[in-house]
This record gives sequence, C-alpha cells and structure tokens, in this order.
Amino acid sequence: MTAPFPVDAELHLGRSDALIARERVALHDGSESPERAAAARDARREELKRAIEHAAHYLPSQGPIGVFIHHNTLHAFEHLPFHGGVEEGARVYGCEPYLPERRYREFLASGRIDPEEVEEILDRELRGSAEEVVATLVPRRDLRSAMLLRPLYGGTDKELRWFVAESDALIRFRDDVEPSLRSRLVDRTRRWAMRSLASDGAVADASDVKASRALREQIEQFTRRYGSDAESWSGPTWNAFALQAVWRACREGVHGAPHAPTTSHRMIRHRDLLHEATGVNADQPVGELLIRFCGAFLDQGVAAWHPPAREEGFLASFIATYGSAGVLCEAWRKPLAKVLRRWKREGLTSLDAVQESLDDLGVMPHERDDFLRATALALRGWAGMVVQVEQRHSEVARPIPPGSFEEYLAVRLLLDRLSLAYFARRELGYDGPLADLNATLRKKIGKPRHATVEQRAFVVFQLAQVFGWSAEQLAGLSRSEWFELLDEIESFGGVERRRLLHTAYEEQYFRKTLDAIGEPTLKRQADRARNHPRPSFQAVFCIDEREESFRRRLEETTPACETFGAAGFFCVPIYYRGAGDADFSALCPAVMKPKHWVTEDVVPRLQQDFARRRKARRLFGQATRSVSSNSHNLFLGAVLSAGFGWIAALPLTTRVLFPRLTARLRQHASVLIRHPNETFLHLERGDCSPDAHPPGLGFQPSEMADIVERMLRDMGLVRNFARLVLFVGHGAGSVNNPHQSAYNCGACGGGRGGPNARSFAAMANDPRVRETLRSRGVTIPDDTQFVGGFHDTTADSVEFSDVDQLPAEHQSEFAEAERRFARVSQLNAQERCRRFVSAPLDLTPEEALVHVENRAEDLSQVRPEAGHATNAVTFVGRRARTRGLYMDRRCFLTSYDPAIDDDNATIVGRILGAVVPVCAGINLEYYFSFVDPYGYGCATKLPHNVSGFLGVMDGAASDLRTGLPWQMVEIHEPMRSIFIVETTEASIRKVMIRDENVRRAIENEWIRFVLLHPQTGALTHYQAGEFVLHRKSGRVLETFKTSYHVFRGQRDHLDYALIASGLLPEEFGAWSPAPETQHAGARS
Amino acid sequence: MTAERIAMILGTAAIVVPGLMVVGLGLATLLGRKLSERAVSLTSRAVIVLGLICTLGAAVALAVSGKPEVAFDGGALVSYARGHGPDAERFRFGIKFIFDRLSVPVMLLSYVLCGVISAFAGHYLHRESGFVRFFFLLAIFLLGMIVSVAAGTIETLFAGWELVGLSSALLVAFYHERTGPVLNGQRIWTIYRFADAAFLLGAVALHHMTGEGDFDRMVGYGAWPAGVATVTSSQALFAGTFLLIAAAGKSALVPFSGWLPRAMEGPTPSSAVFYGALSVHLGAYLLLRISPLIEASTPLAILVTSLGAITAVYAAVARRTQTDIKSQLCFASLTQVGIIVAEIGLGLRYLALAHLIGHACLRTLQFLRAPSAISDAVAAENAIGERSLPSTHSRGGLLPAAVQRFLYRFSLERGFLDTLLNRFVAGPFVALFRFFDRAERKWTEALAGAGRRESDASRPSFESHEYLP
Repeated sequence: MTAPFPVDAELHLGRSDALIARERVALHDGSESPERAAAARDARREELKRAIEHAAHYLPSQGPIGVFIHHNTLHAFEHLPFHGGVEEGARVYGCEPYLPERRYREFLASGRIDPEEVEEILDRELRGSAEEVVATLVPRRDLRSAMLLRPLYGGTDKELRWFVAESDALIRFRDDVEPSLRSRLVDRTRRWAMRSLASDGAVADASDVKASRALREQIEQFTRRYGSDAESWSGPTWNAFALQAVWRACREGVHGAPHAPTTSHRMIRHRDLLHEATGVNADQPVGELLIRFCGAFLDQGVAAWHPPAREEGFLASFIATYGSAGVLCEAWRKPLAKVLRRWKREGLTSLDAVQESLDDLGVMPHERDDFLRATALALRGWAGMVVQVEQRHSEVARPIPPGSFEEYLAVRLLLDRLSLAYFARRELGYDGPLADLNATLRKKIGKPRHATVEQRAFVVFQLAQVFGWSAEQLAGLSRSEWFELLDEIESFGGVERRRLLHTAYEEQYFRKTLDAIGEPTLKRQADRARNHPRPSFQAVFCIDEREESFRRRLEETTPACETFGAAGFFCVPIYYRGAGDADFSALCPAVMKPKHWVTEDVVPRLQQDFARRRKARRLFGQATRSVSSNSHNLFLGAVLSAGFGWIAALPLTTRVLFPRLTARLRQHASVLIRHPNETFLHLERGDCSPDAHPPGLGFQPSEMADIVERMLRDMGLVRNFARLVLFVGHGAGSVNNPHQSAYNCGACGGGRGGPNARSFAAMANDPRVRETLRSRGVTIPDDTQFVGGFHDTTADSVEFSDVDQLPAEHQSEFAEAERRFARVSQLNAQERCRRFVSAPLDLTPEEALVHVENRAEDLSQVRPEAGHATNAVTFVGRRARTRGLYMDRRCFLTSYDPAIDDDNATIVGRILGAVVPVCAGINLEYYFSFVDPYGYGCATKLPHNVSGFLGVMDGAASDLRTGLPWQMVEIHEPMRSIFIVETTEASIRKVMIRDENVRRAIENEWIRFVLLHPQTGALTHYQAGEFVLHRKSGRVLETFKTSYHVFRGQRDHLDYALIASGLLPEEFGAWSPAPETQHAGARS
Repeated sequence: MTAERIAMILGTAAIVVPGLMVVGLGLATLLGRKLSERAVSLTSRAVIVLGLICTLGAAVALAVSGKPEVAFDGGALVSYARGHGPDAERFRFGIKFIFDRLSVPVMLLSYVLCGVISAFAGHYLHRESGFVRFFFLLAIFLLGMIVSVAAGTIETLFAGWELVGLSSALLVAFYHERTGPVLNGQRIWTIYRFADAAFLLGAVALHHMTGEGDFDRMVGYGAWPAGVATVTSSQALFAGTFLLIAAAGKSALVPFSGWLPRAMEGPTPSSAVFYGALSVHLGAYLLLRISPLIEASTPLAILVTSLGAITAVYAAVARRTQTDIKSQLCFASLTQVGIIVAEIGLGLRYLALAHLIGHACLRTLQFLRAPSAISDAVAAENAIGERSLPSTHSRGGLLPAAVQRFLYRFSLERGFLDTLLNRFVAGPFVALFRFFDRAERKWTEALAGAGRRESDASRPSFESHEYLP
C-alpha cells in the first residue's frame, strides 16, 4: 500500500525553516545569561498556561448531568452586546446565531412577524441614510426591506443555469409582483423594443449600441420562435420578452463587477485545510481514540476497570495505556507509543508537550490563541467535561488531578500531528514537515470561489421584477452605478438580514407584553390591593414560569387567596439528606455554597419500624443491583438469563403498556421498604459550628430569623398575614430521562425544593423567630401558621408536610385549602395538556391529571413535561400588577413590593442579583438549544447514550452532547427574556452600579429590560443607555371568564388576556366559593 | 379440520400478516401518502396482535395435534430433475415453512418483543421526522425475523435473513444526516454482506449434497430437536463451516464483534430490539436450526463450541472498560450469545433455546431502560444507604502489572478486532480495488486519447440553496 510511515524522529524534527531561523536568532542573541534564558522560558510557559486557560473558558460549562444547571450557552461572550455576541459565538463555535431565514419567512407569512415592524426597525437602524437612492434606482430602505420581506432565491452556478433554462423563470413573473408594476414594466419594454426596431443606427453612445444590438438579437430570436413579427405578439410573449431582456441586462450589468473580500469560514487548524483540500476528516480517528480514553479516564462508575495510573493525571494515564510497544494499532498512530515513551523518558511536562506540538505544527505566536481555542473546541463536550470534573473535584465521585485539561490538550495535539502526517501522506503523498503543510494545502485549495455572474445577476433579476426595473433602465446604468447596486445588495448579507428579522420577531412579543402589563385594569387592581382585607390563605411558589398557571388557577378558584413568587429555595440554602437518601445534596442556586446541613429523620416512635424497613430496603437494593450487574457477567448472567430471563417479560410488557398502573403497584409494594412518612427535620443547632453530623446540623434561631425576615421582606409579605401561609417548592419526577434534573427547580440547583419549603415553614412557625421578627418590625399574628409543600410539575401533584403539627383550629381550613390545591392540580394539568400533541384537546381536568401522571411514569415518554419551554418574560413586582392576566405559562413571577424597599434599592438589588443570572440563564440556554439544536443543543434524545454518568453521547461514540435536547425546546420561541421590574430608574441605576452581572446583562442587552413605575404605572424600556417610554398601542386586552375559556381547543402560543374570575375581587369574605361549575371544562 | 391443519393455517397466517404490513406501509410511502402517527401505530399494533394470536393458536393446535412439527409447503420456485432412480440429478428451490418446537417459541418471542418495542416506539418517536420510516423498517425486520425463524428451507431462511440485515443496517443509519451513523451503518452492512456470502456458499454446498435446501431433507428424519443428519461428517463440516461464518457475522461472534457496539446509533428502541434481543440471536438460531449438522461432525461441534466460548470470554473482558451504558449492555449481550453458541456446540439444544428466549427478554428490558442509568445508580445508592461505587478492582486482580496493563488495553480497544479487520482485511481489499481503478483509468484514458472522467471535476456541494448566502 503506502510506504513506511515517517518515524518519530522526522516528526519531531520536522520544523519549518521559519521556526528554525527564529530559534537560531534566539540562540545567537548571545548576550542572555542562562538565568535570564530560564526566566524567559518560565515567562513563556506562564503565557502558554494562560492561553490554555483562556481556551478552556470557551468550552461548555455543563457539569455531570445528574445535576443540571441552566446557564447561558454563550457565557464566554457576555462582555459583548447580544447581537455581536451571538454572531461572534456562531463564528467561534461554527453554529447558527439565529433561526434559518426560511423560518422567519414562515413567521412573516403567518403574521408572527409584523412587516411594518420590520420597516420600522430598518428605519431606526439606517437612521439618516434610509432615503439615499442607490444607483438612481431605489432608496436604500426600500431595497433592504424588499430583501427582507420578499424571498430572494439563490443557488449554485449549475443549479441556477438549469433553473433559468428549464423552469419558467424567464417566462413568468414572480407571484409577488404587483400587476400594475408588471404591466408598466412590460409596456416600457415593448415601447423600447418597437422604438429600437423603428430607428436605424441613430444612436448616441457605445453602451447604447451594445444594448440595442442585444435587443435586436433578442427580437429576432423571439420572431423566429413565435413566428409573426413583434407587433402581433401576445401578452404572455411580451411578458417573456420583457423578463428575458431584464435577465440579459442583469447579466451584462454584473459582468466584471469587483467582488467584496470574502470573509468566509476561517480555517485555523491544519485539519480544516486538509479537509477542504481532500475531503478527509483528520479529526475522525483522533476523536474515536479520545472519546474512548476520555470516557475511561473521566468515568464516574460505569466501567469495572479504570485506566492505569489514573490518579497521576491524564497524561500519565495515557502514557501508561498507550505507551506500550508491540501492540497492534491502527496505521495512523503507529508512532504514538514511541513518542509517548520519549515524553516519559524526558519527563516532559504537559506545557512542554503542548509547546513541542505547537512548534512542530508551525503555529506562530500570533496564531497561538486562536489555534489552541479551535483545538480545544474540536471535541468540545469531552474537553469541557475534563475541565468540569477537574474543577468540581469535591462534588464528583471520582475526582481527577488538577492540570488534566493541559494534559488533555497535550495529548490531543500529539494525536492531531500523527493523524495529519498520516493523512497528508496518504492523500497527497506529502512527506515534509507539518509546519509547512498549511502552505502546501493553501496552494492546493487555491483562491476562494466568488459568486459567478449568474449567481449575482439572478439576485438583481429578482429585485428588478419586485421594483419593476425595465431592461432599458438597467441597460442605461453606468458601470459605477452597477457596482454600487451590487455592493449595496451584497453587503446586506444573510446574517444581517436574519438579525433584523429576528429583532422584529422579538419586537412583536415585546410590544404585546408591554401592552398587557400596561393594562389599566391591572393598575387599578394594584392600587386597590394596598388595603384589601385578610386573605383566606396565602400561597408562595417558586418564580418558575410553570407555576404561573397554577397560581392563576388557584386565584380563579379561590378569589380570596393571595399568591407570591420567590426563588424556590426560599432563602434556605442547605445541604440536605432525606430519610431515604444516602448522601447530602445541595439545595440552593448553583452560585451559592450552603453553610448548613439539614437531615430528615423518622419520628422516634417509628424508629424501630424504620430500621426494619431500612434493612429490607438495603437487602432489596443490594439484590437489585447485584442482579442487574451480574446479568452482565459471564456465568451468573448465564444462569440468570437462562433460568429467569423470561420473567423480565412481565415488567417489560406491563411497564411499557400500562405505565401508571405499574407505577401504582410498585408504589404499593414499596411501602414495605420505604421509610415511614412521619418524619422530622434536624433543623435546630445549638452553639456549635455547622456540620454534616448531629450536633452541627441545622440553624441557630437567630440564623432562622434572618432567613425568615429576608424572605418575607423580599416578597413584600410583611403585613396582612393570612391564617395559613403555604410555601410550595417544586421539582419534577420523570423516568428514563438522563436530563431529569433539568426539569427540577433551578433555584435549588437542579434539585427538588420540597425540603426548603418545609424548613422555611418550620422556621417561620418558631415562636422565638417570630419574637425576633417582631422586634425588627415584622409582626406575624399568632394565629398565622406556615406549612411547607412540594409541587411535582410533571405529575401535577401537591403534597404538604408536617400537617399533623398544625393546631386543631387550623385543620379544617387547611383541609379546605388542600382540596382547592387538589382541584387546581387537575385544572393545571388540563392547561398543560393542550401543549402535548399526544393528549386530546377535549380532556376533562380529571382525565388530564391521569394523562400527566401517565407521562411521569412512562418509560417511553421523551416529553414528560414541557420544562421551561416558551419562557419569555420575567416579572419582578407585586402580584397585584399581574393577577388575573393570562400569561400562558411564559412568565417568571417574582414578588417584590417597591413600597417597602429602602432608598438604596437593597431588596430589588438582591432579588435581581439572583433572578437575572437564573432566569436569563434558563432563557438563553433554551434560546441557543432551539436556534441551533445540533450545535448548541444536544438534538434529539432518541439516540442518546449515557456515558460515565457524566452526560450523553449520540449513539455509540460521539462527543459529549451538552445543552438541551430538542424534545425539551421544541415548542419554545427563541427570544431574549423581557425583564419587567417594578421600580424606578434611580433605583435601578444604583443596582447597576453595584452589581456588575446585572449591569452587563442590561447594557449588553442579553435581556430586554423594562421598568414599571410603581406609582404612575408608566413603562420605560432600556435602549442604548437610556430608558425610553413605551407608547401603548391602544389594543384592548380580551377578557375571558376563566383561563379555560382562553385555552380550550388551542395548541399554539396564546396572546395575553384578562381573566375576570382571576382578578382581585373588590371585596371578599373568607373562602369565597370556588365557582366550580365554570371551571369544570367538561366536554361541551 | 384437523388440529394439524389449523396449526398450519394459523402459522402461515402469522407469516403473511407482517408481510401485509410491509406492503401496506411501503406502498403508502411509495405513493407519497402522508401517514399519520396514529394510523401507523394502530396498524403495527393490530398486525402484531393478530400475528401473536395466530402464533399462539398455532402453538396450541400443534400441541393438541401431538405432532412434533407441521409444515407449509409453498411449492418450488425452481424444480429440476434429470434421469431417474437414485442417480438422478435433482435440484429444488422451494418456499417452505415449518412450525415446530424450535420455530414456534422463537416466533412467539419475536412477536412479543416487537410488540413491546413498537408500543414503546409509538411514544418514543412521537413527532420525530423519521417516524413512518422507523415503523416501516421495523415491519421489514419483523417479517424477516418471522420468515427466517419459520423457514423450512435454507433459501427461505436466506430471504428472511437478508430482510433482517437490510432493515438493521438502515436502522443503524437512521440518523443519516450525521456521519457517524452512516459510517457505522455501512460497516455493519459490509460485515453482513460478508456473512451473507458465506451463507450462500453454505447453502449452495448443501444443495449440491442433497439436491435441495429443505432442512428436513437435509436432516433426514426426526423433527427438531431429535433430527439426525443425512449428510456425511465431512460434508457437514464443509457446509457447516460456511454457515458458522454466516452465524458469526450475524451474531457478532469473534472476529466480527466490532460492529456490535457501533450499531448503537439508532433510536433506543431499535438498539434494544436488534442488538439486545432479536437480531443478535439470529446467528445462534441458525445454528440451532442446523444442529443435526453440528452433531454429525465432531470437528464442527468443537469449532462452534470454541467460537462461542472465545466470544463469551472476549466480550466479558471487553465489557470491563466500557464506560457508556449501551456498550456495557451490548457486550453483556454478546457474552450470553457466546455462551448460547457454545451450548449449541455442546448439543444442549433445549438449554440453548431457553437461554436465548430468557436472555432476549431480559436484555430488551435493560436496553429500554438504558436512559435510566443515572437515576438507577442514585436509587441503588440510596437503598444501600451509602455512596458506594461499584467495585473498582484493578485489572485482572493478581496478575502481574504488565499483564494487567495489556488486559486493560485489550479491553479498551475491544480486543483490537476492528484494527485487525481494518488493517488485514479491509485495507488490502481497498488497496486492491484502488489498484484496479487506477489501471482502468489508465487504459480508458489511453483509449480515449486524453482527458479525465467527467465526475472528477464536479464536487458535491453542501451549501443550502434556498436563500441567498
């Protein structure tokens, strides 16, 4: 086949002349002392280290998937303005910044994008230059708007030639050309043609000569084809004649026009050039090897064996695995073992190894950073996971030593060199040093291809029809006018057009949202709410937009209740271990690190029972695990599968065919081994310091008081307490779902917020805490009781804890509240079901609940719920400003009362400090996973394969896929979150000075920021440094009786509406009746 | 009507039903009809339930009739005879199905597993663009599976075998917009073709020996599992070796094992049905079917047993370092398939059959639950009450460090099998054909006087042509 492979020595010595020359200069510089040389080397090393750290910054920062934390996919670009950031990110990652243009055109057709808004945005962006006339033909604004609103087609050269020759492109006008314009164009052409037939040679200048000669040729051609002379041609013939004349004029016009310098895909790595030149992907074998080794190295417990010398780091382990000689290996990496052994012999550090590879590859210092970044991104999922596991060494089961990423890069670069050398040789017979490979490849690739005459002419041809430019007009343009026209068209490129269309896409929803929030009814309601009577109960939910519908339905069914929204860890950041858990997990936002530990224990009375059950459970657990792991083994597996394998047919069929029933049965059976339900929390700590073990568990009363006070003040609940205050945390339970954690509470760091709610309620019920609070000005009446609960957003169930501790006089009220919650669960399930295509539209609330319960237990269900899909707005302010507004589960609702905030805007500052990163993180992760499901998201779930308990791969061996799966984002609308904050400009300016993250998000417009004035209700939005008053459109919100009346029979996104029964009633007695009948939502 | 006749009719119906589904779905797609998900799921459900009922009926009728087997003879496609008497040259190429203690249980298994999988996939593939395609391929697969299981002649078996291979390769390449699945699908297809070639040679050899491909003629007398081969020991070894190669390709036995982990590219249910449950057992099934041949030749039996044992050990070692759930499962699966093959070689036919069925059920369940890996691990930890990692005993325990390292490398590189095939089979093969290509180019260019092929100039273009750049 091929000649022997170049040996290691050549590979190592293969340096470019330039490099050798540079080194020689360095050597002969002479004057440097050895110390200074060493210092210079250290400095260079330090610089390289920094460059590698910088490259790592661009890698996905998703950690092991068991705990899924949403974050901005483009976190590395947040220092840029949004549009600049997504475009730069798209360039670096090779992804899409916006949706495909085709999608935006569909939105235009369906009315999701307003053409008028497109023009407005265009005007705004062009400012003064909108009216400038391009090439005497058309004002710039009109030209651009036509390019945005009319689909202009393009194609490869050959495709276009075929299209022009074979289709009716030159016979019939585009469909979207106005008839009057069309007839004018045809008419002008006819007159021109007839004039030219009549005149004989009396022409003015050379271009006219050329044009009229062409015209005559065409007339003759048509006469030949259609027989009779021009005078008697029919209408369609003249149509065709006019079009062909235009086409000729366009081709003539664009001929020889200069091309703008191409800024196409930059080829940074040798591999890119090799791919371009030969079609061979040198990354493929490298990836195959690295995926396998990274999987083995990072594995958190799937494989039975782990790689040798794993504890010593990536490089040592790699050398120990692949450094042995005489083992059969793929042809491309024959020299690998030898190089690795040399590295080991010379004791090369990973930095030296990286430097060696950079030198060998001839990477110049000014290219180095880009090159390292591109190399790191070549297998970004795995590379990113190396960084994540390295950084999270205290959180993972099997940590890896620091420096692993540098070592990864060293190995990667070496493998790249081997692969490049092999393929360059195989495909091109190239034997020289790798440093000179690029030059050779560039020569082979040649100049980038420019658009051809046909391609350029075809665009003008289509625009000519749209604007009714006749052939005569076009032929009359001077060369410079032609160049101007082309330059104008070509400089308005695809990304630019998509950016504008995207802006219009966001703008429509933005306007609707602001109009809805500005609704006078809501303003009046908020004013009235200041002095309303004592509510029947108050319920506090997470700000999560999935709770919006639950709260709304609760208010509809119980108008006398009040709801609040607060980040779902309820200011209780803890490490928590449940009675049935093996270990602690953090329940708080990802940016916080809890200082307190809380455990759940079974009440002493049942301890014995618990111990028995725990034993049984332990036995059962061990048995299950040994069966499942032994079934993979040689001998036991044989016994198991031959003897008992057929038993598996039973769970197999029942779990797939009757998921809910099977789950129920399993639940009943599990009572024998589950811990008893009567438990308590170790919540109070004595004088010792916090710790994960008994005396250190929990909080001191003063700490509890701080937490409770802060929470209550944050959400503005400092007076008018109801007799019952229910705190409801949330989480999601689904099966067979590696991304399960992503459905949980973001404010609990991808955990379930039940324990936080329960802890909070217990703290708030503590008399000492209340005493302290009273001294600080928050008086909780003695008859107010707090209860914690948990809402499962998948199965839509709500469970309350510590109910037995409620005083007797609260019991019946609580029972009523619980009934209302149970009903709302059904109603909420019904509202959610409208989004599931597989759920019929006419489900009753009861059937809907069964449907969602099924989803939660179905092994084959890849959409247990919609997660955060469709989230679009974040509201920070009083609930009375949004109560009774149908927001279609799209709005994060944070309760905040500006009236009790201080002059320094302390409260709103700390709320935004938490809410901006969390909500914007969720919103932007959904944005990017939707806009580019393959590049930024992890595409369809179906072939996903859990690897090393770290993440998922597509199929057998692929890069680790980060981001969200398509099934999660499918119904999302990719828009930046609109933050509406009820505060003043002065306050927000203070916050922006204090909080760098908030300021950056607002100023760089990664969120759309809107202020709602607490007194006047005026809406101002942030735009280029200032807050601009929003002008209301005058559209009136539709009013419906209940939410059901809005959404029944609808699958898609719905507009805002007012819900009559959801508004705060003018006056109410305790427990005004739930108007059950109007909510039934029965089939009608 | 006798029970025997009922068994025959019901059994044949169980084969026809999936055929109808293939034709129906195929025609609708060919004619450009957009089928709704509901229609497709309902059809497949109906077909599978119907087929299952027919098979069950056939099983009952067979038991009632007391006969060890019932056959449906579809007649000969080709029948040829020259001369008379014992020296006559005969050749018969027929369609025939037999329902016996081997085929009926495996048909039942195929129906149950395909039924579960299609119910699962009906939800799992909801709104996926390849929904209809998946069910169409599943129907082809089911048809192929049933045909090869019930086949009474080697050519009938071959037809089913091919359908299974085709649908498997296409399902591996289900996500054809990515390169990985297509490359792996192609790899599997190549190995299948290699196995098919061996199969054909074996079939031709059998025809040559007995004049026809009927299993009962070849076996001589006695229904499965009691059959005794009529061919001589050396004939059995000759034909049996080819069939063993065919079975090895299909069941991913050594040295073909490399394709099995690469087959996990399709949606989870297809991985489950093909590589956990049915497809991977088809080779073993072929060996069961020809077990009288194996019995007739001791060398062949030794060959089968050792190949099975080697595969089992190989897969058990390779599994040790697999870090993703599906590869873990597929090597676990392969371990058992190896043992089943070894059992067949040892003549333990009933045990092998029970093992095959039990293993298929167990593995299908595990495959369908593969995405639960993380929550299962957490649940197990919680149940046991400590954060316990699975035993991480070092490689090979007491062996010297160097051996341990080699074992680790051996396992990590999956026994170097792919490398072996790439370098010593595929490489030379491709090189040879490149050489032919070059030679052809030379003389065509010489003949044409000059110039290059037209196709050299044009390159595929990847840009989207819908809108302007």
